[in-house]
Amino acid sequence: MQVRLHVQRSDPVTGETRLQLFELELPREATLLDCLEQIKDEVDGTLAFRRSCREGICGSCAVRIDGRTALACRTPVAELVAEGHAPTIAPIGNLPVVRDLVVEMEPMWQKMRAVEPFLRPGPDCGLDGRETPIPSARLDAVRKESLCINCGACVSECDAMTVSPEFLGPHALVKAWRLVGDPRDDAVAPRLKGLSGEHGIWECTRCYLCNERCPKGVDPRDAIAKLGAEAIAARIDRDRGARHAKWFVTSARTTGWLRESELVVRTLGLAFSFAKIPLALRLFRRGKAPLPLPRHRARDLAPARELRHIVAGQDRRGALGIVQGERALERIDFICSPEQPVGEDEP
Amino acid sequence: MYGPEDVESSHDVLVIGAGCAGMRAAIEAHDAGADVALVSKLHPTRSHSGAARGGINAALGNAGEDSPERHAADTVKGSDYLGDQDAIELFCAEAPGDIYQLERWGALFDRDDEGRLAQRAFGGAGAPRTVHAADVSGHVLLQVLYEQLLAREIRVYEEYFAWRLVVGATGCDGVLAWDLARGGVRALAAKAVILATGGSGRVYCGSTNAHACTGDGMAMALRAGLPLEDLEFVQFHPTTLVPSGLLVTEAVRGEGGLLLNAKGERFMRRYAPEAMELASRDVVARAEQTEIDEGRDVNGSLLLDMRHFGREKMIERFHGTRDLALTYAGIDPLEQPIPVRPGAHYHMGGVATDVDGRSEIENVFAAGEVACVSLHGANRLGGNSLMETIVFGRRAGRAAAEQALKRSGSAGLAPSARVDGERELARLLERHQGERPSRIRDELGASMHENFGVFREEGGMRRQLELLENLRERYRHVLVDDRGEIFNSDLVQALELGYQLDLAVCMVSAGLERRESRGAHSRPKDFPARDDENFLKHSLVRWSNDWLDLSWKPVTITKWQPQRRTY
Ligand SMILES: Cc1cc2nc3c(=O)[nH]c(=O)nc-3n(C[C@H](O)[C@H](O)[C@H](O)COP(=O)(O)OP(=O)(O)OC[C@H]3O[C@@H](n4cnc5c(N)ncnc54)[C@H](O)[C@@H]3O)c2cc1C
Ligand code: SF4
Ligand code: SF4
Repeated sequence: MQVRLHVQRSDPVTGETRLQLFELELPREATLLDCLEQIKDEVDGTLAFRRSCREGICGSCAVRIDGRTALACRTPVAELVAEGHAPTIAPIGNLPVVRDLVVEMEPMWQKMRAVEPFLRPGPDCGLDGRETPIPSARLDAVRKESLCINCGACVSECDAMTVSPEFLGPHALVKAWRLVGDPRDDAVAPRLKGLSGEHGIWECTRCYLCNERCPKGVDPRDAIAKLGAEAIAARIDRDRGARHAKWFVTSARTTGWLRESELVVRTLGLAFSFAKIPLALRLFRRGKAPLPLPRHRARDLAPARELRHIVAGQDRRGALGIVQGERALERIDFICSPEQPVGEDEP
Repeated sequence: MYGPEDVESSHDVLVIGAGCAGMRAAIEAHDAGADVALVSKLHPTRSHSGAARGGINAALGNAGEDSPERHAADTVKGSDYLGDQDAIELFCAEAPGDIYQLERWGALFDRDDEGRLAQRAFGGAGAPRTVHAADVSGHVLLQVLYEQLLAREIRVYEEYFAWRLVVGATGCDGVLAWDLARGGVRALAAKAVILATGGSGRVYCGSTNAHACTGDGMAMALRAGLPLEDLEFVQFHPTTLVPSGLLVTEAVRGEGGLLLNAKGERFMRRYAPEAMELASRDVVARAEQTEIDEGRDVNGSLLLDMRHFGREKMIERFHGTRDLALTYAGIDPLEQPIPVRPGAHYHMGGVATDVDGRSEIENVFAAGEVACVSLHGANRLGGNSLMETIVFGRRAGRAAAEQALKRSGSAGLAPSARVDGERELARLLERHQGERPSRIRDELGASMHENFGVFREEGGMRRQLELLENLRERYRHVLVDDRGEIFNSDLVQALELGYQLDLAVCMVSAGLERRESRGAHSRPKDFPARDDENFLKHSLVRWSNDWLDLSWKPVTITKWQPQRRTY
C-alpha cells in the first residue's frame, strides 16, 4: 500500500516549523506508528516521536492526525490514506513542542500532581496484611477512570485549556474522580473543595471533545460531571459553576424551561448582576434574551419532571455512560427549596 | 520548555528502571529512610509492566483451597526443577501480604460475589490463584505504584537513558546516563544501584515485548563484569497474534478458549490430555510449533477459538482482546477464531542475584525481569512475574537502602567517567558513514527466532553465533543519522542495539552448552530429554576482556526432588 504523509517537523533549537512529505510503501494492516517507524529506520533517522508498547497501553504516541488527536499505534493507516489523501501528522496540542512530534508533558504531570493523585485510605480499606471485602458494585464507580493511560489526547483537544491554560483539565480531573469515587478514599470532602476552586471542575465548557477522542473510552467529561454532582451533594457549591448547574435543574423542575434572565442573578449573585444591567438591557432590546416577566413556563411540566426522575435514578456509574446529575439532584431539591419557595403550582 | 538540569547529582539509592519492579523498589528504599531517585528512559507509566493483562499470583485461597506451599510446589514444577526452592518458598509465603498492601494503596482488583479479591486459574497452577483487574492487571499495578511514588515525592530522572554502570575499587559509584529530552551526558552518583530495566524480548522479531524492552540492564551488568544466569531460557508465549506478535492473554484459555489446528482438531489432547489448553506455556508453545513444523497450521498459525464465549462475556471480560484482534488483524473473535503462534515473551534469565536482589558486586542490586533470583528456573508460570516485581522489588529496595545507609560519606563519581562517556558518544555521533541500526536489528531478530526459538539444535546455534559475530562486526560501523542533542532517540536506539547483540551472544552460548531439554530450552533433535545428572544447575555467563566465560552454579533444593514433569 502506498502511503503519503505530511509530518510536522520542528527544529528544537530555532523553533522553526515546516511540513515534510514522506512517501512510503507498507503492508495493508500497517498502523500510523508503523509508518513513523519506517521513516525513522529507512528515510530520516532524525524524526523524533515517542513510542513503546505499540498496542495502545503505554500512552506514548498520541499525535494529531489532520487535527484530530489519536494514538498512532491504534490508527490503521489504510483508512487515512483512502482515495489518495495525504494526512498531516502534528504534535498534540496544549503542550509545548520539544521537537517534531514530541511535546513536553511536564505541565500535564504538574496538574495531575495538584490533585493529590493517591489514595488516602479510610476505614473501608482495612489494615495492612489483611483483606477487607468491598462489594464490587461500589468499585465500579471508578473502573472506567482507572483505564486512563496518561496519553494526553484529551488535553490536546480541550478548548478550555487553550483559553485558560491553568485549568486542571480532563486528564487530571479523571484522576481526581478515580479517587473521589473510590469507596476506600477518606479525603473526599477536602478533595472536592480543592477541585471546586478557580481552574477546577467548573471551568470545563462541556464541549465533550475529550470524551470523543479518548482512546481508552475513559470519558473524562463524565468524570468531571460526577465530580460536580458530588461537590453539590456535599454542599460544596459556592462556585458560580455549581450555582449555574443548580439553577438549570431548579428552573427546569419548576417551570419546565430554562429561565435565562434569572440564571444570571442566580449564578453571579445580585451585586455582581447589577454591573451586568446595561448588557442585559442591550440583550433584551435586541431580542437576545427573554424578559424576566411574565415567567417562562412550559405548557406541560411532565416531560421535564420525568427527565429529572430518570437522571435522579441513576447510580454513580450513570445510565448509558452519560452522567449528568445523579444523586446530587436529590439533594438539590432540599438545598433549593428553603430559599426558593417556587412550588410546583406557582404560576 | 525543559529547564536546565544538573550535570551531576548524588543519591543514596539509584533505581534504574521505573516499571513495577523499579517503582516498588524505590518506594521501599524511601520508606527505609534512604534518599532515592529513579532513572528511566520512559515516563514510569509508559513501562511495559502496563501491558501485563492476565494478573498476579498469590495463594490467598479466595476461590478455592490454596496455600503458599501449593503455590511453591506448582512453581517448582513449572520451573522444571531449575528454580531455587529457598527463593520460591519465600516468594510464595510473602506474596499474599504484598497483595493486601497493593489493595490498601488503591489497586483496583476484581472482586468476587462476597466482595473479596477474585482469583482465576492460570496455566500450570493447581488452584485459582491469579488476582486480576479485568484484562488490564499490569496497567492497574503500574498506576497505583506511580501514585505511591508521587505520594512520597520521589525524584524521577525521566527520559534518561542509563547506559553505563561505573564500577570502581569499592563497588559501584553510580551510572552514566544520556538525557534524552535535553541532550547531554549526566553523571548520577549513588551508594547503591538497583537495576530494574525489565526484559529483553526485542532480541527477537515477533515478540510480545515493547520496543523499549532491549535488555539494557542485563547488558550493562555484563559489561560491569557481573555474571548473567540462565540466559538460555526464553519463554515463548503460545498465543501471540499473527502477524503483529501482540499477546493474546492466557486468560482467554483460562476461561475456556480452545486451540485448534488446520483440521479443526483440539490438538492439545495429544500433548497434555488432562490440562489441555491450560498446560504450562512451554508445553503449549511446543505443541503448536510441532503442529506448525508438521504442516497442520493455517499459514504459519494455529487458531484460538473464543466464539462460544458469547457477546456478553466477550465484551465484559475480553473487550481488550477483541479490540486487539479487530485493530491489528482485522478479525472479530465473536465471528472467527484468531490466528496465533508462539512468540518470544519472557526472559527467565538475567542478572544473578540472591533473595535480596544482591548481585556479585555488593552495592549493585537487581529486581524484576532483569534479574534471575532464580524464581522461574527454566520456565515461568503466568502471573508469577508481576508478583516477582513486587516481592523482590520490595526486598531489593530494603536491602539497597540498608546497604547505602551503612556506607559513610556521600556518593561521588570521578569526573573522568563522564568525560570518557562524552568522548565515546561524540565519536559515535561524528561517524558519517556506516550502516543504519534498523537493518542489523531486523536481521538479529529474524535469525534469533529461527535459530534460537522454541526448538534449538547444535547446528543452528553454531550458525547463529557466526551470524552474531558478523552482526557485531557491522555494528562497529553503525550510523546514527541524528546528530542533534535534543530528543535524539536515534542515538538511544543505536546504543540499545549494542546491548541486544551482546546479550544474544551470551544467550546462544549458554544454550549451546546446555546439552539437554528443560523447560523453555528444547532440543528435540540432539538432546530431547532432561538430564538432571549433568544439568540440574544454573548457567552463568561473564564477559571478561572480550572473552565469554561460561560456568555453572548448583540449584538450591529444599523439599521437592526433581520428578518427571507432566500436565
Ligand atoms: C504482553 C505481556 C503480558 C504480560 N502479562 C503478564 C501477566 O499477566 N502476569 C504476569 O505476572 N506477568 C506478565 N508479563 C510479564 C511481566 O509483565 C513483566 O515481566 C514485568 O512487568 C516486568 O516488570 P519490570 O518492572 O521488571 O520491567 P518493565 O515494566 O519493563 O520496566 C522496565 C523499566 O526500565 C526502564 N529502562 C529500561 N532500560 C533502561 C535504560 N537503559 N535506562 C533507563 N531506564 C531503562 C524502562 O523505562 C522501564 O521503566 C507480561 C509481559 C508481557 C510482555
Ligand atoms: S468537555 Fe471540558 S474537559 Fe473535556 S475537552 Fe471539553 S472543556 Fe475540556
Ligand atoms: S483520559 Fe483518555 S485521553 Fe485523557 S489521558 Fe487518559 S486515556 Fe488519554
